[in-house]
Amino acid sequence: MLTVLEANVRKVVIELMRYLPNTISLIATFYIIFLAMFLGISVIGDPASADANLRFAIVGNAFWFLLLVGVSSMGWELTTEATRGTLEQLAMSPVGLRTIVLTRMLGTLAVHLVITVGMLLLTMLTAGQWLRFDLPLLAAVLAPTFVAVIGLGYMVAGLALVFKQISALLQILQFVFLGFAFVPLAMLPWLELAPVVKGVDMVRHALVDGATLAAFGPRDWVSLLLNAAVYLLLGLLAFTVAERRATARGLLGQY
Amino acid sequence: MVDVVGLRKTFPARGRHAPAVTAVDGVGFRVGRGELVGLLGPNGAGKTTTIKALCGLVRPDEGELHVCGIDVRRQRRQALRHLAAVLEGNRNLYWRLSVRENMEYFAGNRGVSRAQARGRIDTLLERFALGDKRNALVSDLSRGMQQKLALAVAALAQTEVLLLDEPTLGLDVETGYEVRSLLRELRDEGRTVIVSTHDMPVVQDLCERTVVIAHGRVLVDDRVDHLLRLFASRAYEVQLGAPLSPGQVQTLRRRLVSVTVFDDGLRVQVDLAQGDDLYVLIDVLRSGGTPIESIDRRVIDFETVFRRLVRGETAGPDGVLDLTPDAALDRTGHHAAVRA
Ligand SMILES: Nc1ncnc2c1ncn2[C@@H]1O[C@H](COP(=O)(O)OP(=O)(O)OP(=O)(O)O)[C@@H](O)[C@H]1O
Ligand SMILES: [Mg+2]
Repeated sequence: MLTVLEANVRKVVIELMRYLPNTISLIATFYIIFLAMFLGISVIGDPASADANLRFAIVGNAFWFLLLVGVSSMGWELTTEATRGTLEQLAMSPVGLRTIVLTRMLGTLAVHLVITVGMLLLTMLTAGQWLRFDLPLLAAVLAPTFVAVIGLGYMVAGLALVFKQISALLQILQFVFLGFAFVPLAMLPWLELAPVVKGVDMVRHALVDGATLAAFGPRDWVSLLLNAAVYLLLGLLAFTVAERRATARGLLGQY
Repeated sequence: MVDVVGLRKTFPARGRHAPAVTAVDGVGFRVGRGELVGLLGPNGAGKTTTIKALCGLVRPDEGELHVCGIDVRRQRRQALRHLAAVLEGNRNLYWRLSVRENMEYFAGNRGVSRAQARGRIDTLLERFALGDKRNALVSDLSRGMQQKLALAVAALAQTEVLLLDEPTLGLDVETGYEVRSLLRELRDEGRTVIVSTHDMPVVQDLCERTVVIAHGRVLVDDRVDHLLRLFASRAYEVQLGAPLSPGQVQTLRRRLVSVTVFDDGLRVQVDLAQGDDLYVLIDVLRSGGTPIESIDRRVIDFETVFRRLVRGETAGPDGVLDLTPDAALDRTGHHAAVRA
């Protein structure tokens, strides 16, 4: 399992390096989006709340990026690998496709987390706004949040196995994730049921409003963990069903 | 080693323009340890589906599949430990990764670390003549090299069973030859190999046995040399020193079912498999004083055998093959001269 993880993380990193122009343009896009927000906030926003707004934008943007990459990259990869013929090789591993997909998602998330942190530093430098990092708290919130992201990733990956053409879905998801990353729970409380949103909200409280560990009660943690568990299970279920359907119809390869 | 019993698979309809297709309809065969068996059949016969079912990539509707005694349908992942496959020639690879990176990645996915795999990767790359390409991207390799790499990746897994779907597809003569000798080496290592192919030299050179599938059913399952003998030994061609008279031709046509006369009466062919008697021919020739230059027994290649099998000249109930005249034989067959 550790070997499988290592192999897949390596692959993610190698491909990222080999496609450096792609990677750079991806990062640049998000940086530019952020800069636009930055300018917008400082030009038309209320100067009194500008600082908080800026921090809000930084956090939201970072999460949007992570969600997009974390959830949809596996879907993209599976559709291309199905036509390339490598998906069948993955599915023939005694380790099981599910595990390989998991390690691939972990690798992608880890690599993009590093990129996101770098981007955060860059944007904070640009904005002159420094977020407070309470690392233990951040880690405690991010871990279950990423579990939910992986659950979502499994769902999208499962859809990719069965339906192949998922680019339209991924386009729509971009906007859904935009909502997840930017809409505060205070505004739409029922969004707490949606995946990942609770975690993003907690991170936002921590980074934007400077909330500490003490600021969150058991209700927050239960909601966060439950959210992660439910979406991971749903994701695994969806993926398993999709894999069964794909083998019943011979969809793992090009036909 | 590999056991297939009553395999059936119908792919469900996909909308109005893609009705349900029965790809495999009761295929069964058994391959013993260390055998190299050819899986043959026309396009759409069900070869790929059979192989994919063995790999657990296609879930059968019915039938039993065992690899090394392990039930593929019930214990898919255990069974996969014992087999590796190359399914689409050069397509089972990551084109953006280098040769070595591909090998390492696939080894990793089977739980073999880079350190563990290193020595074996080097050996395999040398053996497959890919040593100096180890750091080249797969997209920069020729098709032949890609296909050899795919084979090397499968060999790296060190499984008892190897399933190869058209490993020589699209290769030039030289590379095809190279791949054939690599396959032979794999078999000589003691691996059990099933190879689906349209490439007759692969069958004739490598396979002791072949399973011919058509329309999702096994048509023939027999030794290659046996099939060749069965088809070859029954047709004779007689070269004459002087043309037959019209009367002789008439008599021959009346008394022999399979007779064919060529070259304005200078060449005659008879197929004994259809109950014709060479003596009848000889008698007619003698009666007219026609000199015999040579009698050739047809040595046919496996391609011709295969075409005749598929064209419905199937094995009878007792396993004896019924033959019907086939003009293709006249043009494509080679001759082994048996001087008269
Ligand atoms: N995933 C699939 N969905 C629907 N039909 C399929 C699928 N895979 C194969 N078929 C159909 O099943 C039949 C058998 O296909 P298969 O690929 O097994 O044949 P084959 O013997 O490998 O042929 P070829 O020599 O062309 O490779 C064909 O009619 C094919 O169209
Ligand atoms: Mg095929």
